This record gives sequence, C-alpha cells and structure tokens, in this order.
Amino acid sequence: MTLKWLLAMGGLLLMAFGTGHAASAPPGVTGEIVGQGGQRFPIAVSPLRNLGGNSAESARLSTGIADAMVHDLELSGWFKVLDRSAYMENAQTSGITLGTFDFKDWATIGAEGLVKGGFSVQGDEVAVELRLFDVYQNKERVGKRYTGRVRDYRRIAHKFVDEIINQFTGVPGVFNTRLAYVSNSGGRFKEIFVSHLDGSEKFQVTDNHTINLSPAWSPDGRSVLYSSFKDRNQTLFLFELYSGKEIKFTPRGGGRYLSGKFSPDGQTIVATLESGGNTNLYLLDRSGNVIRQLTNNPGIEVSPAWSPDGKQIVFVSDRSGSPQLYVMDLASGNSRRLTYSGSYNTSPEWSPKGDRIVYTGRVANRFAIFTIPVDGGEPRKLTAESFDSEDPTWSPDGRFIAFTSNRAGKYHLYVMQAGGDNQRRLTGSGGDDTKPHWSPRLD
Amino acid sequence: MKIRIRLAGHVCGLMFFCSLAACAPSVTDKPGATPAPRSDSDTSANDPRAGEGQRGGTKESETGSSSLKQMQEGKSSATPASSPLKDVFYEFDRYDLSADARATLRANADWLKSNPSARVEIEGHCDERGTNEYNLALGAKRAQAAREFLTTLGIPADRLSTISYGEEIPVCREPTEDCWTKNRRARFVILQGRSTS
Repeated sequence: MTLKWLLAMGGLLLMAFGTGHAASAPPGVTGEIVGQGGQRFPIAVSPLRNLGGNSAESARLSTGIADAMVHDLELSGWFKVLDRSAYMENAQTSGITLGTFDFKDWATIGAEGLVKGGFSVQGDEVAVELRLFDVYQNKERVGKRYTGRVRDYRRIAHKFVDEIINQFTGVPGVFNTRLAYVSNSGGRFKEIFVSHLDGSEKFQVTDNHTINLSPAWSPDGRSVLYSSFKDRNQTLFLFELYSGKEIKFTPRGGGRYLSGKFSPDGQTIVATLESGGNTNLYLLDRSGNVIRQLTNNPGIEVSPAWSPDGKQIVFVSDRSGSPQLYVMDLASGNSRRLTYSGSYNTSPEWSPKGDRIVYTGRVANRFAIFTIPVDGGEPRKLTAESFDSEDPTWSPDGRFIAFTSNRAGKYHLYVMQAGGDNQRRLTGSGGDDTKPHWSPRLD
Repeated sequence: MKIRIRLAGHVCGLMFFCSLAACAPSVTDKPGATPAPRSDSDTSANDPRAGEGQRGGTKESETGSSSLKQMQEGKSSATPASSPLKDVFYEFDRYDLSADARATLRANADWLKSNPSARVEIEGHCDERGTNEYNLALGAKRAQAAREFLTTLGIPADRLSTISYGEEIPVCREPTEDCWTKNRRARFVILQGRSTS
C-alpha cells in the first residue's frame, strides 16, 4: 500500500480536534503501510525560521528540529524526504503560514508534502510552531505549537512527526517513545539505559557495575522493571524514572526472579521465578508479592509476555524437550503449544493489535526474528540468517519491531516495519546493545 | 525537563473552529521529564563487591572467587588449573550429565568428603547463543543437576548452593564452537564460612 493523504479524513480529524473530542479514525483507514512495492511519499522538511529571540542556539535549532523530523520520517519507511540542498527558498526569509510562500517552489522539486515551521527562544525555553502542507492542493493539513526547554527540541520534532503520521494513516506515529535496553558500553558490566529512538535523551538507569537484564516498561511509561545481580542474588527491581525511587522484589521462600513484564493495566506483573533449578511463572502485584503461581513444571518456563487484553500470556517452555512458545489462558490456566517449526524458539512478545506474536527462532545455527499468528500457523521470517537478530519488541502501535542484531559486528539496536521492511540501525555505541523493550506512547 | 504542548491558539483559530477544551489546556505537563539521578546507596549493605570480600580462609583462592566478583575485579572467571574442584561441561541446550561430567563430579565429591568444612557454590553457565533469560534458566538447571549428583554421592545438600549466571560471564569470548564448549559449564567456588542459604 502506498502512502496517500487521508483525503476524506483530513477534515474529519481537524473537526474532531475542533470540538475537543479525541481524534479517532473510522474503521478501514488505519491500514498498515508495508510492502516493498509501496512507494514512499515525497516530502520536504524546511529548516525552521527564527521568529525572534537571538540565541547561540538559533542555528542549531533551525536545522536540528528539521533533522530530527527527517530522521523519524525516514525511519518510518513511509516517506522519501527530499534533499535539503534542492530547496529553493531561503528558510529564514520566506513565510511559514499558508499564503506567505509559494507552493510552486516545492512542487517543482517534486515535493507532495511540506513541513515548515518557526521558533523563538527565550532563555531556556523555546516555542516552536510547525505546519504540514499538501503541496498539490495548496492546503494546510495540520498546525501545532509547542513550548518546552531548548534542550528537549528533538522531542518536539518527534511529536510533530507522530502528528504527520496521524494525518496520513489515522493513527499517530510512535516517535515520541523510548527504548529501554541493556548495554555494556564496551565495558564488562551490563547496565540498563533508556533513550529515544534516535538515541537522544539517553539516560542510564543502573550504574551498579554488575549485570542488569530484561528491562520492561510499566504501561504508564514512568517506571522500568529490570533484573539485576547487584545484590548478588539475581532479582527484580522496579525503578521510577522521575522520582528515582526503587523497590526490590524479594521472593519469599528463596529463589530468584529472572524477569518480569507488566500487565496491560499496570496492576500486575508476570514474572519468572527460579527455585531449586526449576523456573516457573508467577503473577505478582506491583510490590512484588505473589498473587498466584501460574505454572508448576519441572522444566524451564521463562520469558512471559501479555496479550493486549491481559487475558493470556505467551511464554517459553522446554516441556517438549526444546524451547518452544506456549500460550496460556489465565482464567482457565490451560496452555497450548504455539510453535512447532524449529528447535529453539524464545523471547516472544504479543502484538499490540493482538493478531501476531513476534519471537526469536534458531535457523541454520543463527537466530532470526519471526512472527506467527496467535492461533498458530506458518511463521514468517523477518530477518536474514547471515547474522543473528534477537530480542524483538513491538512498537506501541504494532507497526514496527525493534530488535538487536550483530550484522555490523557488535550487537546494535535496529528497527523495522512489522513485515520486515526498512531495517535500520538505531544505536552505535562501542559496546553491545541488547534486550530492547519499547515504551508506550509518552506525553 | 518540562515540556508543555498545546495546540496554538492562533493556528487553531485560523484553521479550524477551536474550542477552549482543545486549545487552552496543556496536553502534556509531565513533572520532571528528566529521570532522577540514580542512587544505589541503599543497596550498599548487600553490595556484592563488599559481601564476598571476607575471605575466612585460604580455600576460596583455590577455586577463585565467584564469577561475578572475578568479573567486577576485571579478572577471568576461569577456574584456576590448581583448583581441586574441576568444571563440568554440557552440550548445547542440555543439562544432563555426560560420562565425563559424572567422572569429574565423582572427583569433586571425593575432595568435598575429605574437606568436610568446605561449602561450595555451584555456578551454572551457558554459551552466548540463545536468549539471556532462557540461558539463566538453563544455567540454573545445570547447576542443579551437578548439585543433585553430588548429593547422591553423599555430599550433604546444605553444603552446596547454586547460582546461575546464564550466558553473562563467559570465560571465552570468541564466537566459535571451541569457545562455546568452554562456556557451557558448572563451576565450583569454595565459600569458606559462608552460609549456603
């Protein structure tokens, strides 16, 4: 499917804003835009005009906000951003509102969409206004004004790209999100980090010089659950990003928590507990107290993840003799085996749309990312087996998958469309970046 | 880092009929969007860097410290050649004991019988292939398999504790079968005078 303006939708969405209701797309227009045959939508992103306030930051902001938007638009795989050197106007003298510039300057270079904007800096604050224009129809599609701290300018760009994608698909983009992940930063310790997809606003969650693993976001995007060896015996910790508060989960009766994932409503956590060599799944409350035991097998039961309705979990068990994916209905406690092809299938995550499960599978002595329908069926391989790709995680809209891969030597984080197209590298630290978990949409 | 985002009044007003509800309030007002600085001070009592440092005797040095402590000190977690307790090795994705593994465990059991005060932590390790969580579980299985075999040979279970490091502390870092073979191991660390609980 090729990206096109939602012609009928544009007005509806704007009216929805105008009356103060949440903009929601009617059924049928929220289609995925995937497939190599799909043409990328040609769009131009002009550097922003300085609207007042002189600051040493001005030049950086003018191109910095535009660059951040270009990065996101390219990452989506849906847009072809026209090269800035072809732009005919002077961004600092031409208008940024409808009627104050000439659409022909943009139609001539092949742009069908156009982003223009301006900013003004006052002290540490920046005000930014951004507009999306339809070059063919000489129309404004959407305009927004943002204020924030100067150093957060990239987040403003992410939010407007999310709005651009909303204009085209009826569903906002996912660029104002973060990834939590594990990095050794080239050293021997594994620490937890969070950052935006473009690597900005990188924040180190742990700095305890041990091994920290399996970060998982709370559904409100305010906390990260992770497992750590920092108190020698591995267990889970729940870290609040904005207060710095942390809770340690201590299993009663001994044992070690290996990993955990929040339920979609944020009220419970499904966790793996190792005790006496056996690993089983437990339902915990937010403080780490056991609500109930979910599995009771002598083998390995790990890596649980929730269905979007919170009624089922998918997990890994070796009860058949090799690691395979199973789906458990929480109400009945019944499990069914999901994967039958391959001898090593792990690290599942349930699509936010509910229709497919993404996982890591071993093929030809390599690891690749697969998806499989939740009712079973033919797995779809998304990455090549000439290198390893592991630890997949869905974007909150289910249209993208982030993962780690050693295709460029070290393990770096990558993102691709849910069908496997447009695989792009996100991180390039000197070390190995692994175990990404995609945050919900953030404010 | 605060960021307030709202529809611009003037943009809104020009473009669409815009209510106060849509335009005026901040859509976002996240307090302290910059995460707070990390503090680990509350965990210092259990800091593994401190916790294992009390070497009661000389036995610990015979096997080396725990792999975590060795790693923290920038040392290899490989068992010294002089260690009286030898590593046990496993096949890929397996935790059953081969004939070689059982022979090694018998020798380890003999040493434990002649050193009845020694308490040992059995570490389960994996090669780098597969997912971290599965390998943590697999390492636990490997350590437990070694522990159970030692108890069948007459070593009291309360002298043997287990821990899994999964694939996290390899002794060999090349992506080769030779290296992977060395990493799929159970390692025995003497914890002189430590509780095994």
